Amino acid sequence: MVIAESPRFMRADGPDKVTGSGRYTADLTLTGMLTAKFLYAGVSHARITKLDVTAARHVPGVFAVLTQADVPDIRYGSVADRTLFSDGVIRFEGEVVAAVAAIDTKSAQAALDAIVFEYEELPVINDVEAALEPDTPLVHENWATYDADDDVSRQANVASFTSITRGDVDAALAGADRVISSRYVADASHAVPIEPRGVVAQWEGDRVTIWSSTQVPFQARDGVCEVLELPTNRVRIIVPHLGGGFGGKCGFHYEAHIAALARASRRPVRLVFSREEEFLAPDRRREGMIIEVTSGLNADGTIAGRRSRVLLDNGAYSSDAAFFPHMAAMHALGPYKIDHVHAEASSVYTNHQPSGSVRAPTAPQACWALESHTDELAKAIGMDPVAFRQLNAVDTGATGVTGQVYDEIGLQECIREAVAASAYGDELADDEAVGVAIGWWPTFPGASGAYIKVDSDGKGVIITGAQECGTGAVMTLPYLAAAELGMAPEDFELVYQDTSVGPYDVGATGSQTLLNNGRATVEAARQIAVQLKQLAAEKLEASPDDIVLNGGKAFVAGSPDSGVTIAELAAIAADGEMLLGRGSGAPPETPEAPNTVSCVGDQGMNGWAGPQFSCHAVRIRLDRDTGVVRVLEVNTAHDSGVIINQIGASGQVEGGVLMGIGQALTERTVYGADAKQMNAGLLEYKLQTMADAPPISIHFAEVYTPDMGPNGSKPIAEAPNVATAAAISNAIAKLVGKPVRLLPMTAERVWETLQEDGA
Amino acid sequence: MNEAYELDVNGVRYPINAAMDRNLSSVLRTEVGLTGTKEGCDDCECGACMVLIDGQPVNSCSYLAAQAQGREVTTVEGILDGDNLHPLQRNLLEEGGVQCGFCTPGMIMSAQALLTRNPSPTEEEIRIGLSGNLCRCTGYQRILAAVERTAAES
Repeated sequence: MVIAESPRFMRADGPDKVTGSGRYTADLTLTGMLTAKFLYAGVSHARITKLDVTAARHVPGVFAVLTQADVPDIRYGSVADRTLFSDGVIRFEGEVVAAVAAIDTKSAQAALDAIVFEYEELPVINDVEAALEPDTPLVHENWATYDADDDVSRQANVASFTSITRGDVDAALAGADRVISSRYVADASHAVPIEPRGVVAQWEGDRVTIWSSTQVPFQARDGVCEVLELPTNRVRIIVPHLGGGFGGKCGFHYEAHIAALARASRRPVRLVFSREEEFLAPDRRREGMIIEVTSGLNADGTIAGRRSRVLLDNGAYSSDAAFFPHMAAMHALGPYKIDHVHAEASSVYTNHQPSGSVRAPTAPQACWALESHTDELAKAIGMDPVAFRQLNAVDTGATGVTGQVYDEIGLQECIREAVAASAYGDELADDEAVGVAIGWWPTFPGASGAYIKVDSDGKGVIITGAQECGTGAVMTLPYLAAAELGMAPEDFELVYQDTSVGPYDVGATGSQTLLNNGRATVEAARQIAVQLKQLAAEKLEASPDDIVLNGGKAFVAGSPDSGVTIAELAAIAADGEMLLGRGSGAPPETPEAPNTVSCVGDQGMNGWAGPQFSCHAVRIRLDRDTGVVRVLEVNTAHDSGVIINQIGASGQVEGGVLMGIGQALTERTVYGADAKQMNAGLLEYKLQTMADAPPISIHFAEVYTPDMGPNGSKPIAEAPNVATAAAISNAIAKLVGKPVRLLPMTAERVWETLQEDGA
Repeated sequence: MNEAYELDVNGVRYPINAAMDRNLSSVLRTEVGLTGTKEGCDDCECGACMVLIDGQPVNSCSYLAAQAQGREVTTVEGILDGDNLHPLQRNLLEEGGVQCGFCTPGMIMSAQALLTRNPSPTEEEIRIGLSGNLCRCTGYQRILAAVERTAAES
């Protein structure tokens, strides 16, 4: 089913968004509402010697001042290393020391100024390799007492560790024709949604309603319940329109701080972040990374073996980053046919802002390194880099690095189509080149649920736990329900983003919404279809099996003119057994990776369900005098299975590519010697603008993928962010003569590489 | 210290009672009560707060509200065509130029200013005209298409 044709896909939330009537969290006002402000540490590593909020509590207009002493003593996170407020040790500059609720911003600021906050500085851990030195102090002195999942392997400043081993890599490299090693270093970067986050909390009796700009309302609810020790049914999270997230608004952040302030002040409280806070404070930053890859090549150009080592900058706390080493290790091995591999990846504590999910976490950096290395391999043996990938990349029936044997996939089609659409191989000006890279990304099956009701006039409501972060995934649900029921998408309204109304959902994370909630919605609609067919069969004196639902009517197959409208059937049902459907849908199974052995810190990601593949070809122009790179054209091809919503999927590709261009060329977090961010503003951080954006072409390799998303689909939102920086790197390397080994590949770094020997 | 003055917003005269150091975006969002104008950076960097003052695009986060006295302020709420969507609004939806929607009001105001000034812009002129409005969702391709289509239709 393709939605793009007729009628053209129009998102149901669209009119609200283009007219300005749509409410985002910062647009909400409640009577008596107070303003929240946080006291941040402002220092990267220190021990608090004095924290006294007595005077702050007496500032006029101040209703509450809270510190860790005022909330339950609970540690949380994937490694339970986090507390709501500082536990006495400051581990990064954006750590919240105290929170204030006051009648207005000026009173709140006066209260912050009145807090006595003194500390002694500790040596900062500003570098992942330094963090691993034996004499480096621990970021978490008591980490051994923290809870974590049993499969998370930890030691010293290593917050989590994974290894992947298959075959005998030592023997494979020893016996290889050529062995080539590369080292690449990627800076940290940010999600940068245009909406800074906001939270509003209001208590009514012993229950709290929290409006929050979160991508994951149920996770946020669970976080509030955990740290404030409340049952789930007393905490309601409602998400107004969400102004983008890109992973930056995943996880549990400030909902509990604001709920605690509202309870203490007996007033509704609102927090709205400044852009600087959005850069400095949240536990969500794309991790800096060091990637080392060694590959052995056989004389025929096949890959004999690969050893990869990845160090990830975990930052001060682990948020959801405990699974990142596993993802990074997979990306540092890549979607290739290699029988002998060994990968190790460690996420290392530092005094930086915590890492967390940002669109395809770990993938763009690791793919950039691996695919740049891949072009180095091809160059070393004088082979065309596209031909090298066609020879070595996986495809249907092939065995990948972890022993997973792939069902029908479209990676080779992606390589063929992206390259064919590009100027690869054409005669180009001597300051232009085309680079090519391939990427992959797993699918995350999970629990989700939806209810559908059809009222007496034949109009329906879909009640879902799914979260719309802008992608259009939730907006696509009416099309799925309508297709099952022979109705129009416009016949359905959506109720969503409310934890007290919708069934549990993981949220707008892991590209999972249409995959999991789409299946739930289809299942709910099918229950109503059974009811409608039964009602129609009685009315038309036919068997339910012969009833067809189409065009807003139910009729006997072959007799569309003598049917009954769905509205008539709904009116009958309203007096009896009402039209109610509910769906959840068993999640698809994750395949085995049977030949992988001795895997430490196994997070269960050696076998990837519904793997998505891509190839990007990017044409650039390089100014050799300045090192400035301009992206002229991006040609993409993606295997995300059957595409359900062409406009929505294309929007994901285009947005993901542009984010990838930013990561490739400009976006980075610059740390000072004090481990504090030096460019926490949009002008200094440098997102791509419309003037920078190139034309982007898209090919979808629509491989029908059984037992995955609705209608043979796979997810799409993160995959387009994976391979763009890598393709740009390979284009730059062609013009420079060698790769730029630092990400982003800023003009300065390109220019410096041009001055090196061999360039 | 608050002072009383009037603002003309979308053709309606509003009595304002606010401190003279308040910026226009904050007064529009709280005193006037129109929240379509968004605040993304408070520093003229993102364009989400773009409004028109006497037809000129202005980042309202960095413009004093009191300075707008005697001028016509237009926000996204003021560009509906009666009860119908303005062509820019409709085309943004039909071309798929809206995802999270947070940049959309500012983008519409910048595009409206551009098309008023230059009814038949080239692609390059649109790219430069809207380069002060950041969008993180779309890659800009469909926003560009919507503005091109609006220009072609008028």
